[in-house]
Amino acid sequence: MKANIVIVGAGISGVSIAYNLAKKGVKDIVVFDDNYLSGGATGRCGAGIRQQWGTKNNCILAKKSVEFFEIAQEELQYPRDIEFKQEGYLVIATTKEEDLQFVKNVKLQNSLGIPAVVLTPKEAAKIVPHLNLDIVTSATFCPTDGHLNPFTVTDAYYLAAKRLGVKFFYQEKVLNIIVKDNKIIKVITENYEVITNKVVNAAGGYSKEIGDMVGIDIPVYSENHEILVTEPIEKIQGPMVISFSLNIYCQQVPHGSFIMGRSDPNMPQGYNVDASWHFLDEMAKTAVNLLPPIGDLRVIRQWGGLYNLSPDRQPIISDVKELPGFYLACGFSGHGFMFAPMTGLLLSEIILGEKTTVDTTDLHIDRFKNSDFKDYEKSVV
Amino acid sequence: MKKIDLVIIGGGPAGLSAAKMAAESGLSSLIIERNFKIGGQLVKQTHMFFGSEKQYAKTRGIDIAKILVNDVLKYSDMIEIMTGTTVVGLYKDKVVTLLKDEKYIKVKTKAIIIATGASEKVLAFEKNDLPGIYGAGAVQTLMNVHGVLPGHNVVMVGSGNIGLIVSYQLIQAGVNVLCVLEASSEIGGYKVHASKLKRLGVDIKTSHSIKKAIGKDYLERIIIGKLDDKWEFIEGSEEELIVDALCISVGLSPLSNLLSMIGTEMKYVSYLGGLVPLIDENYETSIENVFVAGDVCGVEEASSAIVEGYLTGLVVAKKLGYIHPNYDKLYLDFKAQLHNLRSGPFGEKLRRGLEEIMR
Ligand SMILES: Cc1cc2nc3c(=O)[nH]c(=O)nc-3n(C[C@H](O)[C@H](O)[C@H](O)COP(=O)(O)OP(=O)(O)OC[C@H]3O[C@@H](n4cnc5c(N)ncnc54)[C@H](O)[C@@H]3O)c2cc1C
Ligand SMILES: Cc1cc2nc3c(=O)[nH]c(=O)nc-3n(C[C@H](O)[C@H](O)[C@H](O)COP(=O)(O)OP(=O)(O)OC[C@H]3O[C@@H](n4cnc5c(N)ncnc54)[C@H](O)[C@@H]3O)c2cc1C
Repeated sequence: MKANIVIVGAGISGVSIAYNLAKKGVKDIVVFDDNYLSGGATGRCGAGIRQQWGTKNNCILAKKSVEFFEIAQEELQYPRDIEFKQEGYLVIATTKEEDLQFVKNVKLQNSLGIPAVVLTPKEAAKIVPHLNLDIVTSATFCPTDGHLNPFTVTDAYYLAAKRLGVKFFYQEKVLNIIVKDNKIIKVITENYEVITNKVVNAAGGYSKEIGDMVGIDIPVYSENHEILVTEPIEKIQGPMVISFSLNIYCQQVPHGSFIMGRSDPNMPQGYNVDASWHFLDEMAKTAVNLLPPIGDLRVIRQWGGLYNLSPDRQPIISDVKELPGFYLACGFSGHGFMFAPMTGLLLSEIILGEKTTVDTTDLHIDRFKNSDFKDYEKSVV
Repeated sequence: MKKIDLVIIGGGPAGLSAAKMAAESGLSSLIIERNFKIGGQLVKQTHMFFGSEKQYAKTRGIDIAKILVNDVLKYSDMIEIMTGTTVVGLYKDKVVTLLKDEKYIKVKTKAIIIATGASEKVLAFEKNDLPGIYGAGAVQTLMNVHGVLPGHNVVMVGSGNIGLIVSYQLIQAGVNVLCVLEASSEIGGYKVHASKLKRLGVDIKTSHSIKKAIGKDYLERIIIGKLDDKWEFIEGSEEELIVDALCISVGLSPLSNLLSMIGTEMKYVSYLGGLVPLIDENYETSIENVFVAGDVCGVEEASSAIVEGYLTGLVVAKKLGYIHPNYDKLYLDFKAQLHNLRSGPFGEKLRRGLEEIMR
């Protein structure tokens, strides 16, 4: 088999990159995924769409991606409802430091056209009445944030890309990438050998391993993040409620279930995605503390998925100076689902040598070469 | 957190036998059963069992349950039983989480025998959720455990042994069984059971299935139809029947969710009824000290569930340092019993299925 470009990974990043390239007329794009559709982080994620970030880059990526999600249904000609619900994110502050930081964040967000506002605890309770106000010191709210079904949107990108001629292979692992004289020449999978000189690494939690295949050391690591879903009930909560200091995000999805997650500060790095009883214990305590009525709900399922973390908690969307033809879309640090439209657009522009829609200097892998990169994203769970 | 060396999930024939053999070897255990009483499927089976004498054939299911329960009660100092308790989680560090009376309990253990049995398959057709549409197990529970009739005019879907036996029990209870529908061109169950029904005038309609149910608040009528060799309904073959209950008996599939949760290697094997764990010759899964016994690793019979229970109880006890005085003899005997139960033409698919899951 021959290909113009091989994409490793068909999560939301891979399908978006494939779609954007194909839309720009690139032929012979081949995508390999060793799992099923949405089997990686994409199908396991909290599916939150948030523009209230602490760094400029993340704000811009999120905002422009929201603009796409709003028209994705038509743009991708998806026959079903894509299920994008824009009922906001309520970001909860519980300390003086957070109060101050959030005012700064909202200022930054507003300067970039993101309609976020600072709220008093009472104002926050108007939006989510079951908040435990004893622990809320202030909040911020952006009404155009929300929730998007990861299965429908990945399917929509996948179908649109397929219509444009992209070839997808699932349950097909990329085993090696052959480089000769500093040029990519071949991709070897379980059942195929593909002649190509361009490879996109969109392998999510496994992107470091793909880099290792071609001798490029990507400064990312993976970590298990757990999450659960409850039984569905009638709608009581519109927005996602999130708190960095309390370590929780929790939202009611359109069919009525609550999805919530938190990070385990003691989680070792690695590829394990097991579910643990510790998570269930801690999650229950955290959720009931902030949103007491949630304690009455039954948990239906719990699972884990990989965050792929970069040193500054912002993505790497870039080419690689040391190896022409090798491209990266990784290190999303737990928020790559909501950035996918921009991931696809920017990387297609980089690959085709076009002027990028937004400046990508700070998304380049080379930013980590001088270790004093400054813009660290703190607004993460 | 509660601590115990061996947790047995499921108090059916497999789980009870495992507990007995572990206790005989000197190992204490905790049986967790979600039902309000132990005995598994057997507590609702009033018919005489098939199988060999060694596993109580020609004895009624409920009486086999009594024997097994008594065996376990003899070891009340070593076997703890929690009924009305559902295992809701199983984790790699061998923590088992339970729900009892709305309370969440954690148990830390060294070894686990999963003996959760099987659950009934369902069929997809229009209005299949109307009240009055039952699985065969529910009908048995209603009639044989609680003494309640499921309806007066019933159609059975499925002519496997369970469908045939339950039809017969319905008639014994005074219910009118209009007919038995069977999608395949041949009757699934044993000839003895089918003949008994035919003698009572029950029509077993092969190449037939249920198309849709009709009713407002509960089942009032059904539409059945004839199937071609691709199992598609033949147009014009529809027939309307007036019924107040429909009983669906289209097979069982292993209740293996807990195994998926703890992450044992699994395989879909249709001969065994669905998703089952890979096992070694002692029924140990790909996770050390996690064992299975009974229908959960392949839908079979009470007879084999009992022997698998004995075998795993014996082996687990040894692994934890409690060796039965007759270990070698018993081990060989249980292996031979399982071999015999599965020999012959009826065991062929089963044998092939079990080969597929051997680690
Ligand atoms: C619990 C949890 C909650 C999250 N919540 C959110 C949220 O609310 N909002 C948000 O925006 N983000 C969230 N994220 C992050 C988000 O899920 C990811 O950033 C995003 O899905 C990454 O998409 P991806 O396509 O890059 O990676 P993936 O979806 O992981 O796709 C990568 C694919 O590559 C395949 N692959 C790997 N190696 C190979 C190989 N050698 N050969 C072939 N295929 C290979 C994998 O099987 C996988 O399918 C969350 C993540 C987790 C785990
Ligand atoms: C109508 C009918 C007729 C049959 N006739 C015969 C016959 O003639 N001869 C024969 O040999 N066999 C017969 N069988 C089959 C036999 O009943 C089963 O093969 C046998 O009961 C399987 O035993 P088991 O212990 O594996 O599972 P079960 O008997 O199903 O026991 C499993 C137990 O686990 C419990 N459980 C499941 N999940 C959980 C959980 N999460 N937490 C706590 N507890 C849980 C269940 O409540 C159940 O009590 C018949 C079956 C039926 C339905």
